[in-house]
Amino acid sequence: MRKYWVIYKANLMSNLQYITNIVANSIGYFMHVFIFIQVWNYVYNDTSNLIHGYNKSQMIWYVIITEIICCCVAGRSLVREICNEVRSGNVAYNINKPYSYIGYLLFNNLGKSTIRVVVLAFIGFSLGLLYLQTIPEITIIKGLIVLLACILAITINLLFLIFIGLLAFIMEDSNPLYWLYSKMILILGTLLPIEFFPEFLQPIITFSPIYAISYGPAKLFIEFDYNMAIITILSQIAYVLISLGLCKLVYMKGVKKLNVNGG
Amino acid sequence: MLTEVKNQLKITSLSIKYAIMREMLNKGTFIMKVIFMLLNDASFIVQWIILYSIKSDIGGYTFEQILLLWGFAAGTFGITRFLFKNAFSLSDHITNGKLDCYLVQPKNVLLSIITGESDTEALGDIIYAYILLFISGVTLGKLLLFTVLLIAGSIITINFAIILGSLSFWFGRSDYIADTGNGLITNFATYPDGIFSGIPKALMYSLVPIGFIIYIPVKLISEFNLLYTIVILTVTIITTILAFIIFYKGLKKYSSSNLMMSKI
Amino acid sequence: MEKQNVIEVNNLKKNFRVKEKESGLKGSIKSIFKTKYQNIRAVNNISFNVKEGEMLAFIGPNGAGKSTTIKMLTGILYPDSGSIRVLNIDPTKQRKKLAYEIGTVFGQKEQLWMHLTPLDNFKFFGAIYDLSKEETDKRIKELKTLFDLDKFINTPVRNLSLGQRILCEISASLIHNPKILFLDEPTIGLDPVVKQSIRKLIRNMNKKFNTTVFLTSHDIADIEKLCKRVIIVNHGKIVVDDSMSNLKKEEGTLEEIISRIYKGEEKHHEKVLGNIQS
Repeated sequence: MRKYWVIYKANLMSNLQYITNIVANSIGYFMHVFIFIQVWNYVYNDTSNLIHGYNKSQMIWYVIITEIICCCVAGRSLVREICNEVRSGNVAYNINKPYSYIGYLLFNNLGKSTIRVVVLAFIGFSLGLLYLQTIPEITIIKGLIVLLACILAITINLLFLIFIGLLAFIMEDSNPLYWLYSKMILILGTLLPIEFFPEFLQPIITFSPIYAISYGPAKLFIEFDYNMAIITILSQIAYVLISLGLCKLVYMKGVKKLNVNGG
Repeated sequence: MLTEVKNQLKITSLSIKYAIMREMLNKGTFIMKVIFMLLNDASFIVQWIILYSIKSDIGGYTFEQILLLWGFAAGTFGITRFLFKNAFSLSDHITNGKLDCYLVQPKNVLLSIITGESDTEALGDIIYAYILLFISGVTLGKLLLFTVLLIAGSIITINFAIILGSLSFWFGRSDYIADTGNGLITNFATYPDGIFSGIPKALMYSLVPIGFIIYIPVKLISEFNLLYTIVILTVTIITTILAFIIFYKGLKKYSSSNLMMSKI
Repeated sequence: MEKQNVIEVNNLKKNFRVKEKESGLKGSIKSIFKTKYQNIRAVNNISFNVKEGEMLAFIGPNGAGKSTTIKMLTGILYPDSGSIRVLNIDPTKQRKKLAYEIGTVFGQKEQLWMHLTPLDNFKFFGAIYDLSKEETDKRIKELKTLFDLDKFINTPVRNLSLGQRILCEISASLIHNPKILFLDEPTIGLDPVVKQSIRKLIRNMNKKFNTTVFLTSHDIADIEKLCKRVIIVNHGKIVVDDSMSNLKKEEGTLEEIISRIYKGEEKHHEKVLGNIQS
């Protein structure tokens, strides 16, 4: 496990040098949150209004949190890089390294995301506080549980992205799958909470990764509940295992194919 | 003069054709990409159906107008990425000395660069734009006007990208400025301008010309107005001239691949 | 009859402003707020002439200013001061007009479309130089025999070997029958056999079309086998402008002579200039 910690730390540090990347990423996040503040501001006539059980301040804090989870991962380039590695055959060089390729990718990217999360959270909370002047009440213990849920959410998101990238073993170009996956997370999880969707869709979304990746952690932040915390964390653990299993499965299949073709 | 223009157009269209050919070497992948892009765009409809089920007007737009808004957003995005993809990586071309091979050719440098690559999946965006136009209700007149405004909007978008990219002639590595500016257009293009006010709204009709690319065109399709149409065409011409002037001014400062950081 | 000058360069100068950046995070942050620049004299007062039909080697160590000079002669870079006439055209003022008259090959940069065959590429370049279909076809035929392209003229460029690609690059740059050919390290990365055949072809081309050749290379054999005249630049200045036969009169092999000339300056200069890659 120690080597993965080293991989994580190395990427955390090296990422600090690409300040311009972090700035660009932050501006993108800022724009998204800014637009949503305007949208909800228009839709809610006054602050005491409730829509599907949410008031205006809760809606905006919901987006601030889900957008952090969504924006802190450079999904497009991650999938593209894995895709290219697989297609060019360079992935073969990772087979004889003393670590798991999937583990390497995961901790490498967790390292990259850490600094972004810190910056985005700073921007998000500043915007929220400036504009709404309220913040959901939360204790330190509850805050730590939300943080844990967020970390697990980012991990699951990364693992699914790695899975999509590795699918290049099977199909020629898995980038289009990324568009659909990212849109699904964005529309069904990031912009609107589950309660906003038609009733027949709600159970589907609840059991999909969307609950674990965005709805769970954000909902806990705006309205903490111990029962829900337990359900969220459990579903997240389940999805870590599922996504990890999917990655391993494709990778193993792919490596076999590599051996047959001789790289 | 006339033959020169003719030869230039020939090269530009050949360049676009070859760039598209390169991406379409595998037909199966190409078709899949286009279909996925269509689905990708269409998925946003869900968000708007839900928002309109809460409130019947958002930012002063009817649901049909939201469809048109998306039509212009997807259409201009599609056309610009399909035909002139490199306009969005101009900054990278400048800082990494990739202009050299175009500069030794007796043709227009700027046109050669921006037509050098194509995002073929952007064809899905263009198709989606017209699907939305048909859903929102179409007449022959609207179809024509939509197409003209789409082309004008695409040209303004490209000009904006060229101007931002050209900043790299003066400031070196500034691709993040261009990326942010171009991202601004894409992000704001899919939300009605009525939800914005104050400085952001003023910017949309000046520094970030999204008002002329998206918002005014949407209104023109709902209710035609000759004056606004002339305004859009004027903005198209002015930004084109501006883009060329700024690019060629910058070109004198071009330093090929010699622009590097020296580490101490 | 006295041969005409095809290139005339007088007091040419070009400086680069290079950003200075300290390494590490602290340096990155510092450079955002306060950027320090360093002026580097890439080309410092160079003058020379080249005659029609001449094959000239323009050499020097990395960062000496070779590529910068070539780029100014071909209209890619604007000089800071001095004058350039190439075929009596000022590259800074009439870039397009000059482009019709010259050919360029940059060994490290591809100008061809990789997914097209050499034949389609040649046709594309024919169109770039406004040649008619007949002219292009005739020219392709000539080049095909001269460079022996028959075997792979219908294979997409990306499937060709590096040597074949360079041959195609050179052919494409000759499609419009240019009067001067600029070759910037054309044999970089090639094996000795391919290098030899490329040299032979360049010599043949020079004989057949009387094309002036302006060559930069780090390969001593390239220079020795092709060129009768050598200009050596170092630290942005011309240090030698002489015939190959005179240069060879010095003691040792040509490689030793050239190495001695390269090293002939003070050491600290080299560090500064080493920062710029040609």
